[in-house]
Amino acid sequence: MKLDVNALGTFYRMAREGAGLAAGRLTSMTGVQTRVGVTKLNFMRGSEIRAEIDDGSEKVGVRVELSAGLEGHSIIIFDRDAALQVVQTLVKEAASEEFDEMDQSAVTEVGQIMTNGFIDGWADVLGTVIDVSTPDFIEGETAEPFFGDLETAPSDEDLALLFRSQIEAVGREIGYKHYLLPEHDSMSEILERQRVDGSDGIEYDKLVGFDKLAQQGATEVASAVTTLTGIETVVEIRRLNFVSLETIPEEIANEKKVGVAFSFDGTPSGYLLFLFDEASAREIVEATVPSPPDNEFGEMGTSAIKELGNIMASGFLDGWANVLDTTIDHSPPEFIHDMGAAVIDPVVIDLGENQEYAFVFDTQIQAADRAFDCDIYAIPNEDDLERALNDLDVDRVEDAKTTAEFPVDEVESDT
Amino acid sequence: MKTYGSEPGAPTPDPIQVGISEFYITAEDVTLKSYGLGSCLAVALYDADSGVAGLAHVMLPDGDSNEDSDGNPGKFADTAIRAMLRQMVEAGATYTSVEAKIAGGSDMFEFESFGEAVGKRNVDAAREELDKLGVPIVAEEVGGQRGRTVEFDASNGTLSINSSEDESGVTEL
Repeated sequence: MKLDVNALGTFYRMAREGAGLAAGRLTSMTGVQTRVGVTKLNFMRGSEIRAEIDDGSEKVGVRVELSAGLEGHSIIIFDRDAALQVVQTLVKEAASEEFDEMDQSAVTEVGQIMTNGFIDGWADVLGTVIDVSTPDFIEGETAEPFFGDLETAPSDEDLALLFRSQIEAVGREIGYKHYLLPEHDSMSEILERQRVDGSDGIEYDKLVGFDKLAQQGATEVASAVTTLTGIETVVEIRRLNFVSLETIPEEIANEKKVGVAFSFDGTPSGYLLFLFDEASAREIVEATVPSPPDNEFGEMGTSAIKELGNIMASGFLDGWANVLDTTIDHSPPEFIHDMGAAVIDPVVIDLGENQEYAFVFDTQIQAADRAFDCDIYAIPNEDDLERALNDLDVDRVEDAKTTAEFPVDEVESDT
Repeated sequence: MKTYGSEPGAPTPDPIQVGISEFYITAEDVTLKSYGLGSCLAVALYDADSGVAGLAHVMLPDGDSNEDSDGNPGKFADTAIRAMLRQMVEAGATYTSVEAKIAGGSDMFEFESFGEAVGKRNVDAAREELDKLGVPIVAEEVGGQRGRTVEFDASNGTLSINSSEDESGVTEL
């Protein structure tokens, strides 16, 4: 199965149109203003999907089977509390604490309206008809009741393509997760049909292989942070997203961020950004500068953060370069302390000259014992990524060395 | 593009968020807001006589040489300004009394790969297009190396700018 950016773009438009129609239908049913937030395509492993659902909280969901133009299953899952809120916000003034039969039928109705909205949007974009079965209401705490019995459910190592979107009602996000699990054949047929003639596309297996390595690279970065700062960190979230460029700044919180940005050059080229919230950046300065200055973001603090960024960037990109058997050089670090979106929009603009969409390798590193959050955005130039992946020998994935060398001495002498 | 479920009778959100590559035209007394402009540029147009206002959050300078601009005029400075002006006139504005205010277009990074400064190119493109159309720029807050969040009050044409470096408050244009 080959992924072509044009075909993925079609899927992206499906996700957006679907969410738009779903939101519009909710509005017309309830009279409550709704708005579509960030939409993205998200590649996720079966094991990660299961882990996401198995968080111990009770969930309710609505599942339908799709046939004709697109075969598979569409499942909307709400946290039980969120579902009650939806019922409260949208359907009646005050829902009872208990999840009674009326609430259940209200959630099924909301789920069905949203599902129909999504699917009508997809059918519009694909220019086809998609048939929908009657909805099933499902309750459970794990992934099992929601798609354990489905052949289309991805195995632990498979990357499933998920549609992610947010819908807000009266300024408040409606918390739901939406999974489209297409039949493999139906999906490849659609991808094939949407492909631009002459485009190489990316082998799905290669993307899966590369993503696995990106995961190891992220782990390396987390351990580099731990080595240099003594702050115990782990990779909390790691996703490969396919989004329209405009979505990238919108997703970043509007608070002030401290960041280190790099451009990198090679196959692939692109941009790499590490963004810390202010508290986390202060932690870094306190942990790495022997006698922390009063102004954490003065010259000394800035240089400490830049150096850490430098080492994280080498770790991240060396991992990629090793797997791809190539060299990727990165620029000196650029320090930024500014509004989240403003930090990333120059990069989006530069890439936007030649591409509309981007693969974003999105990683979040957190500390267990204190407030420490670092968001990593690696955004390769799309043509370069396609070329790099097509050269990738998937067999190398198993034995490639992803551990990068961290020149620790250099940091100490600089601080 | 953002989709608002705009059914009759549903309340209009306030402020209305104008995301990257979007623009919004209104004759109502609402606030239009764009968050975290870096190298992106906010173009605010206002006709005081009719009270019709518009805000665009543009990303790239030149739509005329880009084949995608038909489907997404709000993405480019030149096409966004023309589309806004046309829609404002349709909404009751008088072409000759429309005035412009612009904000944003910073250059935060000095990467070699950026070539000519991306923020400055957006500012230049907007100036050129507004000049071509005969729309005067009555105020501006552009360039530098800082992010800005802008709020455009559609009831009186005031453009308020919140800059990350200016913690003391808000600049009003």
